[in-house]
Amino acid sequence: MVERRFLRDLGALEAIMAFVRDFLSQRGASRDATLDVELIAEELFTNVVRHARGGAREIALALDWRAPMLTLRLRDFGVERFDVTRVPAPDLSVPLDSRRPGGLGLHLVRRIADRVEYEYRDGNSSVTVTKRLGD
Amino acid sequence: MFEIRRLEEGRLQMVGRLDAAAAEGAAEAFRGLRGSLILDCSELDYISSAGLGVLIELYQRVHAGGGTVTLVRLVPRVHNVFKYAGFDRLLKIE
Repeated sequence: MVERRFLRDLGALEAIMAFVRDFLSQRGASRDATLDVELIAEELFTNVVRHARGGAREIALALDWRAPMLTLRLRDFGVERFDVTRVPAPDLSVPLDSRRPGGLGLHLVRRIADRVEYEYRDGNSSVTVTKRLGD
Repeated sequence: MFEIRRLEEGRLQMVGRLDAAAAEGAAEAFRGLRGSLILDCSELDYISSAGLGVLIELYQRVHAGGGTVTLVRLVPRVHNVFKYAGFDRLLKIE
């Protein structure tokens, strides 16, 4: 597993995407698979930037590859519990005129990933996503 | 990187990645637009929930003024994200 630390700031998004792309290109992942993992990483990261109260200056993002399964783990430190697996799915039938922005990010993660797990211990939060990439 | 190109009156092209880092700038660029719009997505490589939020805001403003927003030429990958979000049933996509 390869882990890097990133500032809890939207300005770190580009570096996170580069980390994901480099990791996957070194392992021969397809472009579509890479874009899926980038989307998962972005949605989990922006969720902690926008919603996690308090929190350390940095988050930790780890990637692990055991073909064909990719594991992505995002850890957030010194935060309140926020179980992403229990966030209700948005009502997708609501007309766009009545739709409020927000709520879609975690829904997209759940649609794209094979599995999403949440752990909270000693004020530290960990979201682990697994996804089968390619055939 | 994300860019909006004006192709012709009422037709814009979205180019690149509409992600959380690009969302605020995109929303600002769309804010001044009124009237029906066609958004050419042939060079839109990636969109996240932040980007979808920008499009919701655009749609709501244009629709409130009696106009329509039509997305054309979506690449399959981006089209899938719209489907996951249920937007394919709510937005005009050609």
